[in-house]
Amino acid sequence: MSYLKAESIGQALTLLKESAPESRLIAGGTDLFLQEFPERLIDIGSIEELKWIEEKEGFLEVGAGVTHTIAGGSDLISDKATALAEACLQVGSPQVRNIGTLGGNVMNAAPAADAAVALVALGAVAVLMDKDKNIRRVNVDQLYAGYNCSAVDCSSELLLKFMIESCKSGEGSAFVRFAARRALALPMVNAAVRVKIKNGIISEIYLVAAPVKPAPTRLLKTEELLLGKSACEETWLKAEKSAAGEAEVRGSLLRCSADYRKHLVGILVSRAIQVAALRAIGGKEEG
Amino acid sequence: MKKEIIKFILNGEQVEVYVDPAKSLLHLLRNDFGLTGSKEGCGQGECGACTVLLDDLAVNSCLIPAGKVSGCSVVTIEALSRDGKPDFVQESFVEKGAVQCGFCSPGMIMSAHALLKQNPRPDAMEVRTAISGNLCRCTGYKQIEEAILLSAEKLNK
Amino acid sequence: MPIITENITREKKTETDFQSPEVWTKVTGKAVYGNDFKLPGMLYGKILRSPHPHARIKKINLGSVEAMPGVYASLTGAELPERPYGIVFDDELPLAAELVRYIGDEVAAVAAVDNETASKAVEAINVDYEMLPAVFSPREALKPDAPQLHEKFKDNLAWERNLLRGDSDKAFREADVIVENTFTIPSVHSTYLEPTVCVAADDPYNGLIIHTAVQSPDAVRVIIAKALELPLSKVRIVGPVMGGGFGGRVYGNLKLYMIASLLAIKTGRPVKMQLTREEEFLVGRPMIAAEMHLKMGFKNDGTILAREADIVTDNGAYSAQAPWVSKTLSERNDSVYHIPNIKTRVRLAYTNKVPTGQYRAYGNQAANFATESLLDMGAVKLGIDPLKLRLKNCVKTGDTTVHGLKIKSCALAECLKAAAEEIGWYDRKKGYGYGISAAIHASGSLVFDKNFRGAAALARLELDGRISIFSGEQDYGQGAHATFTLIASRVLGISPEMITVYSRDTLSSPHSIGALGNRQTTIGGKAVQMAAKRLRELIVLTAADMLEDPVVMEKGTLRSASDRIVELPLVAYHYHSLTCGLSLIGEGRYVPEPSEYDETGYGNIAVTYSFAAHGAVVEVDKTTGAITVHKIVAAHDSGKIINQISAIGQVFGGTTQGLGMSCYEGYLFNKGEVANASLADYRIPTSLDVPDITPIFIENEDPEGPYGAKGLGEIVQIPVLGAVANAVADAAGVRVTDLPITAEKVYQALSGWECE
Repeated sequence: MSYLKAESIGQALTLLKESAPESRLIAGGTDLFLQEFPERLIDIGSIEELKWIEEKEGFLEVGAGVTHTIAGGSDLISDKATALAEACLQVGSPQVRNIGTLGGNVMNAAPAADAAVALVALGAVAVLMDKDKNIRRVNVDQLYAGYNCSAVDCSSELLLKFMIESCKSGEGSAFVRFAARRALALPMVNAAVRVKIKNGIISEIYLVAAPVKPAPTRLLKTEELLLGKSACEETWLKAEKSAAGEAEVRGSLLRCSADYRKHLVGILVSRAIQVAALRAIGGKEEG
Repeated sequence: MKKEIIKFILNGEQVEVYVDPAKSLLHLLRNDFGLTGSKEGCGQGECGACTVLLDDLAVNSCLIPAGKVSGCSVVTIEALSRDGKPDFVQESFVEKGAVQCGFCSPGMIMSAHALLKQNPRPDAMEVRTAISGNLCRCTGYKQIEEAILLSAEKLNK
Repeated sequence: MPIITENITREKKTETDFQSPEVWTKVTGKAVYGNDFKLPGMLYGKILRSPHPHARIKKINLGSVEAMPGVYASLTGAELPERPYGIVFDDELPLAAELVRYIGDEVAAVAAVDNETASKAVEAINVDYEMLPAVFSPREALKPDAPQLHEKFKDNLAWERNLLRGDSDKAFREADVIVENTFTIPSVHSTYLEPTVCVAADDPYNGLIIHTAVQSPDAVRVIIAKALELPLSKVRIVGPVMGGGFGGRVYGNLKLYMIASLLAIKTGRPVKMQLTREEEFLVGRPMIAAEMHLKMGFKNDGTILAREADIVTDNGAYSAQAPWVSKTLSERNDSVYHIPNIKTRVRLAYTNKVPTGQYRAYGNQAANFATESLLDMGAVKLGIDPLKLRLKNCVKTGDTTVHGLKIKSCALAECLKAAAEEIGWYDRKKGYGYGISAAIHASGSLVFDKNFRGAAALARLELDGRISIFSGEQDYGQGAHATFTLIASRVLGISPEMITVYSRDTLSSPHSIGALGNRQTTIGGKAVQMAAKRLRELIVLTAADMLEDPVVMEKGTLRSASDRIVELPLVAYHYHSLTCGLSLIGEGRYVPEPSEYDETGYGNIAVTYSFAAHGAVVEVDKTTGAITVHKIVAAHDSGKIINQISAIGQVFGGTTQGLGMSCYEGYLFNKGEVANASLADYRIPTSLDVPDITPIFIENEDPEGPYGAKGLGEIVQIPVLGAVANAVADAAGVRVTDLPITAEKVYQALSGWECE
């Protein structure tokens, strides 16, 4: 095999183009040793162009090469996409957060990857570039083909960045998770919410809980139920009940039973909405 | 598997090694450089005993392919003591009784260094978070936390 | 007897804070652990394990494995004499001959130039199995029609004990209040951070040397010499630094050692073998799982009248120490309180699962969970404060307990009061749950070998005036070397820096039972005290001979009546010259009084006993069942504390392990397969999971232990389980009786769901 460290996006694409289909892109590579090694690895983990975080025309642009540590510590992300920063700080361990990237978190396609769950709830759009430098934009939840299986062919396409509409006044987001211990643990359930509140009424909401489906998936029925409802205790209870009812979950010997997971989905969704709503209202007050 | 030449800075010195780039950094350090201070507790990034600094950040060396360190700086536990004298973090670990079996100690100490580089005045919660990827079975972490807080005190003196 | 209740002032630096200089090698990365050790020409061994829980090996097809480049040898059970070995029963073979009895059973092995080649070679071995029906539940296994694991053990009954003290049937008829319940604990693994590793080397001059870190090297040496039919004097264990043991490595991994030795003998090259973390969970001998049905009867005033127990423990496929652990689990806890009438049945059953061994408190921690939970249930029914109920019934100095244990020193009541006060038992914060629990543990067990109860040590004066101590006891991080140093330092009146303890080579150290049964300080330490005392006498005699005048020894200096002074190196040289090469050696032995127990096991089984009471404060989120343990107070009577810094470390670490067992850990099985064989899925507490822990030592001098000290290393884990279980029940209003107490189980109990 050969191992190539790309210095730029252009170089990475050239390497992809000239190499056999057995080549593969890796970023942090934290899950690499758990898999079969391909013939050729193109390491994109040190490409500076993939590490930008900036706000442009109302959109937060976060490079796919940004690590969990950087994203979690970014004031801009904390401010404009709070759920993402919160999710990043709860992944695995400091060592894994230091090396694992947001792009990798999505491309590994684990059903309950914390950052991916937050990205979907924030309505993030992934920007990809293929070997011939064609660009396409896809909603993050469309990047999944099945359990732990990405829809993106990383032997021909490079994930550049995520674009997230910045949270404005009256909007808030939050991420919560429930795990068996406080570090080094996969979540039993995690949930992320982005909500807009206008005159005390929920006017927009994105709501994700995982693991529910192979991809982090919005709970559309619950979203619909909540639209137009006032931000109050009664609504949170409705959200809890509806989310638990809507989520089709599986149980596992290692994590928890399906019944308990369903219950947790309700509780966590309700908690995430409450925190997000508080932030939305707080933001309004400040503005 | 095909070997390649990898050049990087190891404990402050430019080194060059001809190695399978898919080998883990941990095995590269232990087997090719004889730096056995970094320990292998699981080989899967779940215990932190192999923690080293990669460009000043704490990483699990068992999860880093050797190819990745090309052009980077790697610091291991062996680099901390100078002229046979342990550094202030190592001394604090001894002072506070933070070492029992010692198998997690090198990784813990490297995580402590990574923390202090970023945050020279951590509070207890920040210390606990910084070592939350380093499992210790002997100590219950308390004396380790105290040792890192003492190290920070010494750093700021 | 003076009793000092004191909260530890952590800043205090006293003469009791000492660490072995080895600690410097650990913080600098220079300490050599097993996997850091290499020999020239060394090969690497790997084991092929059974993928089936129960099967007959029809044929092992080695194919061209031995012809693979880099492969030096292969090994199967067919090549070996069928000579079973074991700890309590001889029920194991180094490699399976005909039957495999659990997923992980050793089937074949290979030695090759490196780990990768060895792994590939092992994968290339083809085994033809005939599946046999398997049994996973110990209760099922005891039924007559269950699949049989071992011919010698009918109905899979490995061991059974029926115990009667007093008349429990009568006592229960007379009881005002009776409580009963079933409590279960899963198998738990010591989870030392260093995976087990050994390097075996064999040659005609040195014989077989196994380089491995193990708690009882002498025991391992004896077992291996016998099993492999080698002369005992030609088997030597040399220990590198040990990365944790906690009772899980009393015998290390005997099969690994035997296979490595056989491969080394076969190839004539040193062979290194290391378990992967996954293998650690498969073959690393966790503690038995247990199902305990307990019943307790009280008088209305809270006096405990009787206790009945029906216990089934899960042996897994092979026994190791499981019968002994089952015994301790079933009876040690009975001596915490006055319980005049006892009826116990305990059965140990073979199942097609991971074979078991032991972990830290030898099953006493599991019993604590069950008994202390039941006691609180009794307190509720009686309407008596749980603390008062315990104080009313707990044992005290001078008592002989229901099983004949002689309590020479006991500050249990003081421990209970101190723990209760420190958690705010009578000053409770709303919304929090409070729990308390008490424990006894043997300190210096006398019953492993009736004829070999004590320990021996040597103290040698070196030519430079330093002292070398040779002991067969083991330091694996718990601080035994530091404690021995402090004891010798006190006897000899010289600085601890002048003393070095050596313990890891069976060639140079006195034979010892090893680090188990809480015997390091009490028995091993006493032997060191005796050796140092003898050396002191010899030094004084030799100096008197030199100066031709009586001398006294003070601060490492010998002073004669006529005020002449001689230093230790000169004394050493004098004797050295006089004898043409001998050194002054103090031989120390500590031979405790024989343990006199009858055929029912009634009698004193240890030199002395340690006591402890822990209190816990927790919060339960009733919407999810999530538990937050805020505080654990650990009050201990381990006699006089010899080494404060390591004693505190034992309390923090052992309490955290107790918390792990309470809320986090346990084997999960799926048809005999370990479902959580990794550090990600077998969840030991992380730095963010540990509560505030407050150690309290009630320094009650013990008449037997060295300088009044008693054991601490094991008992630290025991009362955590009962305290946490009781605190969670107090906070949640419901009780979980199945360890670990997880959020899901609490929530299930709260919402009245059926447990799965």
